[in-house]
Amino acid sequence: MFHQILLQIFQKLNNERTISAAYHVLRGKRSGQTIQDIGLFQLHNYFGLLPKLPRKTFDEAVSTFLQYSWLIMQESGHYSMKKLGLQRADQTSDFLFDGWHYRGNEHVFFARFSLIVQSLSYQSAGVRTFSPISRDTAIQSWVRTFLVEHNYQDGHIQQRLLEECERVLAVLPLSEANKQLVLYRLSGHSLPGWTWQQLASERKETVLDCQLAFIELLHTLLNEVHQTNDYPLLGEVAEGLRVKALLTDSAQQTAHLYEQGYSIEQIVQIRKLKQSTIEDHLVELAMNEPNFSIGPFVSYEEAEKVWQASKHYQTKKLKTLHEVVEGMSYFQLRLVLAKGEV
Amino acid sequence: MELEQTLAKYFGYTTFRPGQKEVIEAIFEEKDVIALLPTGMGKSLCYQLPGYILQKPVLIVSPLLSLMQDQVEELKRFGEKRVVALNSFLTVSEKRYVLHFLEQYRFIFTSPEMLLQQQVQDKLSQMQLGLIVVDEAHCISQWGFDFRPDYLRIGQWFSQVNRPPVLALSATATNKVVNDIRDTLSLDTPFEFLYNVDRPNIHLGRVVFEDKADKVHWILQHVKETAGPGILYMSSRKRAEQYSEALIQAGIRTAAYHAGYGAEDRQFIQQQFIDGELDWIVATNAFGMGINKPDIRQVIHETMPANVENYMQELGRAGRDGQPALAILLYSDGDEELAKFVVTGDLPTAGHVDRYQELLNQQVHPSQMLKNGELSETAFRVLDYWLQQETMEQVKVRLNHLALEKYRAVDKMYKMTQTKDCIRKQLVGYFGQKLLKKPENCCENCGIHYDEINKVRLKEEKKIEMIPWESRLKQLLLGC
Repeated sequence: MFHQILLQIFQKLNNERTISAAYHVLRGKRSGQTIQDIGLFQLHNYFGLLPKLPRKTFDEAVSTFLQYSWLIMQESGHYSMKKLGLQRADQTSDFLFDGWHYRGNEHVFFARFSLIVQSLSYQSAGVRTFSPISRDTAIQSWVRTFLVEHNYQDGHIQQRLLEECERVLAVLPLSEANKQLVLYRLSGHSLPGWTWQQLASERKETVLDCQLAFIELLHTLLNEVHQTNDYPLLGEVAEGLRVKALLTDSAQQTAHLYEQGYSIEQIVQIRKLKQSTIEDHLVELAMNEPNFSIGPFVSYEEAEKVWQASKHYQTKKLKTLHEVVEGMSYFQLRLVLAKGEV
Repeated sequence: MELEQTLAKYFGYTTFRPGQKEVIEAIFEEKDVIALLPTGMGKSLCYQLPGYILQKPVLIVSPLLSLMQDQVEELKRFGEKRVVALNSFLTVSEKRYVLHFLEQYRFIFTSPEMLLQQQVQDKLSQMQLGLIVVDEAHCISQWGFDFRPDYLRIGQWFSQVNRPPVLALSATATNKVVNDIRDTLSLDTPFEFLYNVDRPNIHLGRVVFEDKADKVHWILQHVKETAGPGILYMSSRKRAEQYSEALIQAGIRTAAYHAGYGAEDRQFIQQQFIDGELDWIVATNAFGMGINKPDIRQVIHETMPANVENYMQELGRAGRDGQPALAILLYSDGDEELAKFVVTGDLPTAGHVDRYQELLNQQVHPSQMLKNGELSETAFRVLDYWLQQETMEQVKVRLNHLALEKYRAVDKMYKMTQTKDCIRKQLVGYFGQKLLKKPENCCENCGIHYDEINKVRLKEEKKIEMIPWESRLKQLLLGC
């Protein structure tokens, strides 16, 4: 799975970046360059999936790709995908990650959830003492409040939680094996969880791939829980974990004014900032806000032209596009690219 | 009220375990006490019970934050509300609150670092404490495995204040460490309770190999043929993983355990072992703290540990149920060299001393060395402490001395691998005690019939199979 993800990222980066760019995406690096790459190449799903990914693991994967002739390296650190690699990337199915919106918070969700399950399991067994699976005092106190608020001692919450979990897992478009995997990272009374090592050897894959399958399931589950209001208990456990404030503070202020109906020129005057800065903010908004319309700045036909040119010349380089699509400003081009193809 | 009545009232036990009553009585006579009791033998009761009789707070200094948290939670489970952990996890406002109401608590747990803060010291010096407990007191000794410099500083604080009796607790200590504890804490002719280190139901085997390859073969064969549950102690993480893999391949329910795994994985393995889903744990010395499994039948050391204290502590995890158990120490030529290499690997060197000074000269905080991964956390702690006390040259001499001491400790352990005398007698003698009676099948040199102790391994242990997610979910939440 790790190899497939990496290959997909390389494919999306379109030979226009160094191999390190993919590494930064997976680690969730918060630099301007990486954030811009996320928008330009539509890499939101993969952002920050593996914040602790060792460079060594990454480099080993890349050398495997070189061995298989899936890609070749240039001296500058840039790479080019070869036909074999592109074929390979096309063969892999799309994954259901949502790194951009969770950024590691899926682990907070799971820490809360496993401690809740562990507590309820011991309670069902009538055993009052156990050593908590999470040592994090913030998690412990969150779970304590949750359990007390739901009168866990009357023993009804188990049934409700079971029902919600069964329902949500049933609708997720993921394999039974991956659902099983997540269940075995939980533990309860006389029901120890399985280590990553044990799961990996049972599933005949690497530990890293197990962990990625686990993250994918959590992202999918969290999105299902957030998008519907059908899971009240899980909704509470997931509360506050979806990243909403995607914009920098300054961009947030510009967005606020823009939503109130001010034009770019007016915002420039109000905020006493350069026009280019405000334009940066709007590009950031286009990148992050699904409901933001670029209609006021670019017509549909113009956007279409940009997309066709981008496809035709196989590039997202602004300079090239500026040359081949006549009569469009850099700002307009960036908006179109940031918004992505509709 | 009789002590036994208090014991029954607050803890629900009817009798004391060995040593508890003697220690508690000495505390009531206002004596300082050094109590050496093995893990799992009710050390904490020695201060918990006095806490209910003395009408003043008990202050417990504990070096390990996780251990402190366990103890606080244990007391809370017994229904004690007046217990607090005054440590670095508290927010500023929580800390202010706790300090303000400090005299209202019955049990105050704190760390050596906290105790050195002026505002904490000020508050404590205005209070009347009933008892001060120094837990894991062996950390005070620079000869100990996990020396904590901050413990030395509390020794200085102790001598300044007009203090109540001090109870120093530890699970392992030799005469030398006991002397260090007494001197550093300035204890006043303390009452000393030392438990009997001999464990007559643990039979002490030893096997010597000429060739390292024979050792590997022996271990695999032995584990295949004899019954667990057992622990195989290894000298490195990598080796633990390799052996574990080989045993799994041989169809034995095994897992590796070391500090490189995540906290959840480590807890899963412990629980699997306790629940009987695993027969063998192949571990580094990270395994064992806080494990309470009474029916461990075998402890095997693939190579010699760093010192006799560690060896006793590790083999002592076998046979807590009192049933016969076996500890086997394996030795092949040159193991002592490896042990020496490992023990000094964690010590700061003269080079580190120079580097520390160099960073100071450049106006860089020396902790940068730690961040760069130039040395371990323990090593930095030692270095940082001594360089604030002494000159560079003095510290270098001291570090040299420390390394020599560690070598000497290895040599003493090495003697156990070579002795032709009774191994039990030698081990007990190391702790300054006399062996009163030799059990049957005493040790390798007195003669062991292994077949009288080892049970034959039942082949085809039930391997745990994964069940579908729906069933697992029901089991977890409803227990069925």
